[in-house]
Amino acid sequence: MAMLWSRISAALPLNEEQFPLQFNDKVESSVLETLKRSRHQLYSNTTSASRMLNAQIILDFSWEKLNTGTWRHVDKEWRRVYSYGCLFKVAALCREEPSADEVLQALKTCDMGLLMGAAIMDNILQVIVQILQSEVRESTKEEDESEHAQVKRIKIECPHVPVIKEELAVPRIKCPSLESFNTNYLLPLKPVILEGIIDHWPALNEHPWSIEYLRSVAGCRTVPVEVGTRYTDEEWSQTLLTVNGFIDRYILNKDEAAVGYLAQHQLFDQIPELKEDIRLPDYCCLGDGDEDDITVNAWFGPGGTVSPLHQDPQQNFLAQVIGSKYIRLYSPEDTDKLYPHQSQLLHNTSQVEVENPDTERFPEFAKAPYLECVLQPGEVLFIPVQHWHYIRSLELSFSVSFWWS
Amino acid sequence: MRWFGFGFNAFGQIHVGEKLIKGECSDAAEEVKVFSPAELDCCSCCRVKTGCHIRASWSRRACLHLDGDSCVCLCGVSVKDSRGCKDASVSESHLTLAFSDRIESWDLQKEEKTPSWSMGITTESSGPSLNLPLVPGGYIATKPPFYRSLSPHLKAKSLALSAEHAVLLSASGAVYTWGLGSHGQLGHGGLTPEEEPRAVEALWGMPMSCVATGGWHSVCISDGGDLYVWGWNESGQLGLPSRGLRKALQQQRSQQAGATCQDARTSPAEESQEGEKNEEVFISIQAFPALLDITPSCEIRTVSCGSRHTAAVTTTGDLYTWGWGDYGQLGHQTLISSDEPQRVEFFSEQHMRVVDVVCGAWNTFAAVVKEEVA
Repeated sequence: MAMLWSRISAALPLNEEQFPLQFNDKVESSVLETLKRSRHQLYSNTTSASRMLNAQIILDFSWEKLNTGTWRHVDKEWRRVYSYGCLFKVAALCREEPSADEVLQALKTCDMGLLMGAAIMDNILQVIVQILQSEVRESTKEEDESEHAQVKRIKIECPHVPVIKEELAVPRIKCPSLESFNTNYLLPLKPVILEGIIDHWPALNEHPWSIEYLRSVAGCRTVPVEVGTRYTDEEWSQTLLTVNGFIDRYILNKDEAAVGYLAQHQLFDQIPELKEDIRLPDYCCLGDGDEDDITVNAWFGPGGTVSPLHQDPQQNFLAQVIGSKYIRLYSPEDTDKLYPHQSQLLHNTSQVEVENPDTERFPEFAKAPYLECVLQPGEVLFIPVQHWHYIRSLELSFSVSFWWS
Repeated sequence: MRWFGFGFNAFGQIHVGEKLIKGECSDAAEEVKVFSPAELDCCSCCRVKTGCHIRASWSRRACLHLDGDSCVCLCGVSVKDSRGCKDASVSESHLTLAFSDRIESWDLQKEEKTPSWSMGITTESSGPSLNLPLVPGGYIATKPPFYRSLSPHLKAKSLALSAEHAVLLSASGAVYTWGLGSHGQLGHGGLTPEEEPRAVEALWGMPMSCVATGGWHSVCISDGGDLYVWGWNESGQLGLPSRGLRKALQQQRSQQAGATCQDARTSPAEESQEGEKNEEVFISIQAFPALLDITPSCEIRTVSCGSRHTAAVTTTGDLYTWGWGDYGQLGHQTLISSDEPQRVEFFSEQHMRVVDVVCGAWNTFAAVVKEEVA
C-alpha cells in the first residue's frame, strides 16, 4: 500500500510551484484561496483530517454551483473546481496507508470527478483512477481465485420472445457497401438491421463481454443507474452505484422488485479498456458531423428494462452485444397518432405504453403503422433521425448506441 | 442584544481562533466547523453591540450599525466608505451599500478606491425605508445588470433573492416568485421557469408577513405565524421527510468518518427501522407551498435560509433549525443534517431569548436577549 502513494504522487506535479490553479474571474477569490490552501497542504506536512476537510469545502461549494441553473449552462470553471476538489480528496485519502475501503472511496471520488467535473491537468483523474484500479485488482486477485467456484449463476431467463410478423419485420441486410446503405436507407431514412458489421469487435471475439468480464474490467467503478420501470414513471430515479453493486443488486438478485438500468451513459469515455473492445461503425462517415461529435452510450441491464416510445435528434446505430431486445419503430410521419407529451421536458416522448396501450385515451395509436424486430447479439439496428422507437430487453442485455449526424 | 453564530467558519466569520489569521482560511477542524453557538467578536467600531444587523454570504459576515454614525463592518473591521449608509447586503464578491441618495457596489476581491458600480436614487421621505435588495422602482440583483425594475403594481415590501430565484412580498401580503424553477422553488406546482413575477396562487387570500430564500427553496410566514415551505428537500431543508437525507446518514454511519460527531439524541434503533420507513412518503421536491408544523403551540416570528438549511424564530423566543448540518449550521452540537425541525437547546438552556436570525450560506447567526424572569 505504501507503493500506492508513491505511484499517485509520481503522477502529480513535482511541487507547489508547478501545480497549476488557473481560473477565470467567475471563481471568487475566497474559493481560489481555499484551492490554494489544498494545494499547499498537498506538499506540506499537515493532518489527513485537515486535508479532507479542505477538499470537502471545495467539493461542497462547487457541487452547489453544479446544481445551479441548467446543467448545460453550468460554467465549465465550476466543473473544473469540482475536479480539483476530487483530486485533493483522493490525495488526502491515499496519503497515509489507506485501508481497502479508503481506496474504494478514492476510486469513487475519481469517478465523481470524471462524471460531473471537467478534465484538469491532462485528465489526471483518469490517470489516477487507473492506478487505483490496478491497486484494487492486485489486492483482490487472491480472493477471486478462491471464490471462483462460488461464482453466482445468473438465473437462466427464458424470455417470452414476441413473434415478429413477417410483414412488419424490419428489413435486414448483410454487410452492405457504404453506397448501398446510403442510397437505400440513410438518404430515404429507412430503418434496417445491419448484419455482420460488428463481427470483428473484440467485444464479440477476443474479449467476449460477460458479467465476469465487466466485473474484472470495471467492477469497482461508479456509474449512474436509472431505477424504475420507465423514465416517464413517477417512481423513476437515478442513483450512483459501482458496477459490482449494480450487477449484484439489479442483475443477479432477482428478489429486487425494482428495475435498474445502466442507461444512456458514456461509459466508454469513463472506462477506456471497454472502448477498445468496440469500433465506430464505418457508415458514420456518411454523415456531415465530426467523428469527435459522435456520442457513444452504453445500455446495460437485466431483462425487462423499457425505453418508452421516443425520438432522438440524431441518427442512431444500435449495436447489440449481449442478449436480445424487442424493438418497435414508428415513422415521424405518423407522429400525430403517437400522442407526444405536451411539456417541454418530454415532448420527444409518447404518452402511449406501446405493449399495453390505453385505447380509450389514445384511439389513433392502433392505426399507426410500425416495424418491429428482435435484435440479437452481433446485429446493428439503424434508427433514422426522429424515428420513434420503443425498446424492451428480453433478457440480460448490453447494447452500444452511436448517435451521429 | 448579542449575536451568536454557528456553522461554517473557515474565514473567521463567526470567531477568530488562535490559529486563524483574519482573512485567511484555516485548516483546523474545530475552527472551520463551529457546531456550538459562539458569541460573535466585537466590532472595532463599537463597544456596545446594540442595533447591529447581520448580513452574511458564504465566506463573509457584515455587521450593519445604524445607531448614530451608521457604518458597516466586515468581520469586525469598519468599512471606511460605508459611513452614513442606511442598508447593506453582502455577496461572495460584492458589498452593496444603500445611502439615502445612492446605491454603491464595492468589489470585495479588489482593493479599489471607488465602487465598481453605483447609481443615484431619490428616496421619498414618506416612502418605505430602504430594504435591500429593494430600491425605489426595483431591486439590485446578484449579477449584472444589477438594477432591475419592478412593476409598481406589485407594491414590493420585501424581496428575497437566491442565485436562481426570487420571492417577493407585496404590501398586501401576496407572494410573487420568478426565476428558475427546476427544483419547485417557485411554488407554482411545476418545474418550469418564470421570467416575470407570478403570484403564488396556493397562498392567495392568506396574507404573508415574511419571505426568505435558500439556494433551492423558499419559505414564508403568514400573518398568523404559520410557516410555509416549498422547493428542494434533498437535505431536509423543507422539514419534510427526505429520502436523500436518510440514505446519506446511512452511508455516513457505515463509513464512520472521524470528523462526524455522534448525536446523543439519535438512537441506534433508527438505523434498522427499514420496515417502518418503507411506508413513509418521502418528498424530494415540493412544488406547491406546504404548511410546516414546527411546534404545536407556537407562532413563527421570523425565518432565514442558508443554501440548504432553514432557521426559524418563534414568538416565544426559541430557535428551530433543520436541513443540511455538515458544518454545524443547525447548532445542535453535531454535524448531522436533519429533516425535522429541532430546537436549538443552547439558547433555552442559557435562558436566552432569540429575537432574530440571519443565515449565511453554510452558517447561522442568532440575536438574543436575556430571558426575563417572570
